[in-house]
Amino acid sequence: MAMDWMNKAKSAVKTADAIPTRSGPSFGSSSAPPPTASNVRISNGLKEFLWLISDKKGGRLLDLGPAFQTTIMFFIEKGFKLSTEDMLRSWKEFLTEEEESFRKASVGSEAVRVSQASLAEKFLKTSVVYPESSFDGILAWDLFDYLDTELLTRVMDRLYNLLAPGGSVLSIFHSKTPERYHRYKIVDGQNIELVPAPAIAVHQRIFQNREILDIFGKFRSSKTFVGRDQVREGLFLK
Amino acid sequence: MWGKNPEPKTNTPAAKAPEPVAAVPPKPPVAAAPVPPPAPAPVAAIPAPVAAAPAYNAPVTQMSADASRIGPGLKVHGVISGESDLIVEGETNGKIYLSGARVTVAKSGRVQADIEGLEINIEGTVQGNLKASDRIRLGAASNVQGSLITPRFAIEDGARLRGKVEMSRPGETASNAANQNKVAESKPVAKAAEVKPTESKPAVDSKPATTVPAATPVPADANLRAAAARPQGN
Repeated sequence: MAMDWMNKAKSAVKTADAIPTRSGPSFGSSSAPPPTASNVRISNGLKEFLWLISDKKGGRLLDLGPAFQTTIMFFIEKGFKLSTEDMLRSWKEFLTEEEESFRKASVGSEAVRVSQASLAEKFLKTSVVYPESSFDGILAWDLFDYLDTELLTRVMDRLYNLLAPGGSVLSIFHSKTPERYHRYKIVDGQNIELVPAPAIAVHQRIFQNREILDIFGKFRSSKTFVGRDQVREGLFLK
Repeated sequence: MWGKNPEPKTNTPAAKAPEPVAAVPPKPPVAAAPVPPPAPAPVAAIPAPVAAAPAYNAPVTQMSADASRIGPGLKVHGVISGESDLIVEGETNGKIYLSGARVTVAKSGRVQADIEGLEINIEGTVQGNLKASDRIRLGAASNVQGSLITPRFAIEDGARLRGKVEMSRPGETASNAANQNKVAESKPVAKAAEVKPTESKPAVDSKPATTVPAATPVPADANLRAAAARPQGN
């Protein structure tokens, strides 16, 4: 039967519960455990991203990671309007729903072939839907390494359209397969905290530098920062 | 921040409201639930239906004793307005305008409506825009699709938010809410509020694109596409 997409989806998405365990309610940043030196890294990419958007007071930003209080307040206090959408988690949930509906539909009927491309298109009909040129900056964090090729190309087109001219994208790429999955939280203007989290998706690939430039081919310029922890931060300007 | 870490408490409002609000018709709007005269020992007298398994964490500010409640299993369609605090443990579609009151959506609560209130405390699922004149809190298990406008804002790790966050001045939305209240009362809602996380206006910057500064510290990887090779517009 045509279960090709299902197998891919299963390999790409872990069935582990996505919601990280929490130590308790955290009002503001005061009650959250303070970041330690071990899980905070200097982010030159963030520093430069902030420099690029600094002249866009009241500008709009899109955060494609999870909604963290510190990250949201960091930008709000700087006068930006922030939209958040945890894209990777939405993708995982979308695949789970699709799998479920596929199971139901296939009972007593012929299985329908669903390609990765059609899945990607269906997902993007309801996700990351904003008017063109809506944002002056997009924080993609640890996203592109985890998307399959079909979705990746479509997401890149979508993000390019969402950015206003002169807007920038900050993203993170791994130079080796990460030992564990992290979420990213802004600590201050040049530090980000790596928050360990249950893996939402499987790390799909390691991009070579040329490949990174290719997927951001439409963008006007790019800059990459490599850290000692084998994490590359990419900054791309439309 | 503005919220202290409240200790998990038993649902005091639940305990003081022996009977959940009966099925509320879409019109007239939900008013403050009639509260029976306080018993000599109100807390111990009759356990509330949901007290055994608290459906939500302690709200930011204690809900008033006469808070109205849409209990589990209830579905309300239409406009809810008034002055009473509201706890939603069931399902609500339409609009919720309680400009001077606190609105809590419990873990079991499912709301498809714009919500306006003094304080909004979400533990469940909401599809709609939230406007608070004082504060909004998204609990760890909350899932919100819609924009948030509030002077003060707290979100716990694990909360899902898909939408825009804007800060307003304290009390700013209260007056707006009052105006919209009148409109809402004269024009009942026929369908559930549409969720529009996409309503952000295009912010096309007409200024020339900013160049990547050469003076900033350049890290090890010089894998740059030569920005100078292309016109930068600056």
